[in-house]
Amino acid sequence: MSTINFANREINFKIVYYGPGLSGKTTNLKWIYSRIPEGRKGEMVSLATEDERTLFFDFLPLDLGEVKGFKTRFHLYTVPGQVFYNASRKLILRGVDGIVFVADSAPNRLRANAESMRNMRENLAEYGLKVEDIPVVLQVNKRDLPDALPVEMVQAVVDPEGRFPVFEAVATEGKGVFETLKEVSRQVLARVGST
Amino acid sequence: MVEPSLVLYGTLYQRAMDVLQEALQETGARYALFIDRKGFVLAHKEALWAPKPPPLDSLATLVAGNAAATQALAKLLGEARFQEVVHQGEHMGLYVDEVGEAALLVLVFDENAPLGKIKLHGKRAAETLARLAEEALANPPKLNLDTQYREEAKALLDELFGN
Repeated sequence: MSTINFANREINFKIVYYGPGLSGKTTNLKWIYSRIPEGRKGEMVSLATEDERTLFFDFLPLDLGEVKGFKTRFHLYTVPGQVFYNASRKLILRGVDGIVFVADSAPNRLRANAESMRNMRENLAEYGLKVEDIPVVLQVNKRDLPDALPVEMVQAVVDPEGRFPVFEAVATEGKGVFETLKEVSRQVLARVGST
Repeated sequence: MVEPSLVLYGTLYQRAMDVLQEALQETGARYALFIDRKGFVLAHKEALWAPKPPPLDSLATLVAGNAAATQALAKLLGEARFQEVVHQGEHMGLYVDEVGEAALLVLVFDENAPLGKIKLHGKRAAETLARLAEEALANPPKLNLDTQYREEAKALLDELFGN
């Protein structure tokens, strides 16, 4: 699924941040952008509405460095979370190598988390993919909310089989942001190394 | 069906570069890009006289997103596809044409390049590239990376994201 450019000796991977509206997908990318040194990141592109809700996607290219003579790069995307932007979400999933599912810890967003995961499975199926086919990491965000649900409860509705690695996060403060990205990157790279 | 990766290697890559070079010469465009539908640059060329190109990653990503949206629009209107997309501003323009199922040709041009030439030679270049893409998809090269790749990559992940 990765895009390999032999001439420039580059391997490119596409990682998509998925999840319900306002769960913190864009905040993850903004934090990453603010902390990655110059020279290792490209320009961040955000296609957002006036109130900063993601309209189409956010995009951030990252350079990992050279691995066995191949420049290895990650392209990070977010999808719009709001229910009515499903066409955009489907388009962004094309050619995905790994997914970070950003779930919201707020009690009134439990159902939205479950709906979003169901929607992700459906959209992946349109490309002939199942969640079992690609690395997926679950980030349970907004752990700083005073009424945050227990992680196990969030996990029970989005991943009842406990298939995905879970990371707790407060994306506004950067907590858990790099840990999540590192895990999904590690899994994506491991798949290339094993082929 | 899982989408296959489009990989250009060796003579196929060189032939693609030749097509891009010829497209630049025939049209007078500034930059020519061959990108996949996922938004990654497969090959690119710029005219000798052209200033520094815009960020190619962002350009390719936005063009691929735009092409996907355009295709969805076509379907809404009962069309199988809108094959080409042209944007024209006061000084700069963008021509995008389909290269088969998996890729796109992008020409970035300024006000000195006639749109008719861009469209005519752009379409020809896209057709040639489509044949190259078919060859590439039919004969994908092997990457032959071993576990060492995984170890080296892991070390770089630690360096970039912390332990």
